[in-house]
Amino acid sequence: MNTHRPGPLRVVWIILGALVIAGPIFYMFSRSFMTSSEIYAFPPLLFPTTLEWSNYATALSYLTPLVILNSFLFAIGIVVTQLLLSLPVAFALARIPFRRSGTLLGLFVVPMFIPATFTLVPMFLVTYLLGWLNTWQGMIVPMAAQISFAVLLFRQHFAGLPAGLFEAARVDGASWGRIFWQIAVPLSKPMLATYCSVSFLTAWNFYVWPLVVGTNPAYKVINVALAPLAGGAYSQISPAVGLAGAVIAMLPVLVVFIAMQRWYVKGVVGTGLE
Amino acid sequence: MVAFSLFVLVPVVGGLLMSFVEWDLFSAPQFVGWDNYRRLLTDPSMWASLWVSAQFVALGVIPVTIIGFVVANLLNVTMRGIGFLRLFYLLPLVASSAVAATIWGNLYQPQSGFINQVLGWFGVDGPDWLTQPGLALPSLVVIMIWGALPLVALLYLAGLQRISDDIYAAAALDGAGRWTVLWQITWPNVWPTTAVILVLQLIGFLGGSLELALILTEGGPLNQTRSLALYAYQTAFNNLDIGYASALSFFQLLLVGALFIVGLYLRRISRRGVKG
Repeated sequence: MNTHRPGPLRVVWIILGALVIAGPIFYMFSRSFMTSSEIYAFPPLLFPTTLEWSNYATALSYLTPLVILNSFLFAIGIVVTQLLLSLPVAFALARIPFRRSGTLLGLFVVPMFIPATFTLVPMFLVTYLLGWLNTWQGMIVPMAAQISFAVLLFRQHFAGLPAGLFEAARVDGASWGRIFWQIAVPLSKPMLATYCSVSFLTAWNFYVWPLVVGTNPAYKVINVALAPLAGGAYSQISPAVGLAGAVIAMLPVLVVFIAMQRWYVKGVVGTGLE
Repeated sequence: MVAFSLFVLVPVVGGLLMSFVEWDLFSAPQFVGWDNYRRLLTDPSMWASLWVSAQFVALGVIPVTIIGFVVANLLNVTMRGIGFLRLFYLLPLVASSAVAATIWGNLYQPQSGFINQVLGWFGVDGPDWLTQPGLALPSLVVIMIWGALPLVALLYLAGLQRISDDIYAAAALDGAGRWTVLWQITWPNVWPTTAVILVLQLIGFLGGSLELALILTEGGPLNQTRSLALYAYQTAFNNLDIGYASALSFFQLLLVGALFIVGLYLRRISRRGVKG
């Protein structure tokens, strides 16, 4: 540990840096409340003079209750499916001795470094051939199957639990399944909370997959609905409405992130990326 | 396990098979052998988009790594309220690509955007960042750096905690200045972390902000922001040219694989370097 107390100049730098990095987020909040004359005002305004809630009303006409409900279904569906898929695998890899577990682990690690961007087309084809386009399983399962991160996180956690606990249960004749559900899972609550928050944030923010698989409006999620409001090069929609939409799309994950911040950092750093 | 193999392993193998056919999703696929790959090697659009991907990598990877390193060092202090301040640095993590695109798309707007308004204040007539050739790609890179910075800084913070105090004590005895310590002592000591970050960011920027480009520029102007990933996307979903899109995807996977191996090699060297 080489941390130390900073001098006043350094504190100023830290605060300046925070303002620059978080600046775009403040900008989003501030401008989402501006009238269009305030947005075009010169010199530019940092804060709105009044809160223009009508921007939010307009944004909500694009981000309908159905869209918001879909987003929760989509994100929670992914989190739950991922837990069901990854926990048993991680437990087996950490605790049940079997041949080639090392190879198997490697098989799980490598895909973590391949972003879905590169496997989009083949994944889409598998989903298409299964007839899963415009279905919830098509939206959720392929994304939930990206469990490398979860497997690593939980494997490390299970491997760190005291071995005596499991040996004692084995001696008492408990099956691995029972040990898993009655000992390992209950002991993992903080880890589960960490993982759920990280995974929820990631899943909520998915864009391309729900865009190509859920082309039917009944499956539209919030980030897909937001994209046309973005001030792209060829956009016609009022900037304040787009920014109000961005606030709405970000709010649930912002709340989760601030509440779980400490855990989030541990989860990201502690996965054995190192 | 089944789902994992179905959607992680099968796509890789299936994608490989699909790259040998010509298919529009509706009629029966036609086996065409190596044609898609021959076409790939002679397709000027493919080379152009590969060049775009290379530019994303060249402009993004080193800045984000260095800024992340500096930010991590800046934040590596003990003081009241540092946790609260760190939170601000992590906020870009929360922004999805659609949210980031909305915010930055607005910042970049020629009239209503903050950047040109501030420039106008100084009497400079700011450009249209996202449609002017030559500017669109660097503008997207800035958004990507902003989005990737928190993770890089977090990984470096973790790396910094592992450097022992003794090294710093020795440096202080030798009368090394703060800047010298940062680049002569801290930097070489976090090499293993740097190697991991470089691999992650190389692969990340090679993707060339598929989502941001889709939302903000649609690959334009003049296809200058159409990375390989976006080209594969458009080939598959706009042109329904599935076989060729699969060949493009598989080609990308090979590139990523190659980068990954280079990364592992770098890491091995860096480990040896630190020990010896």
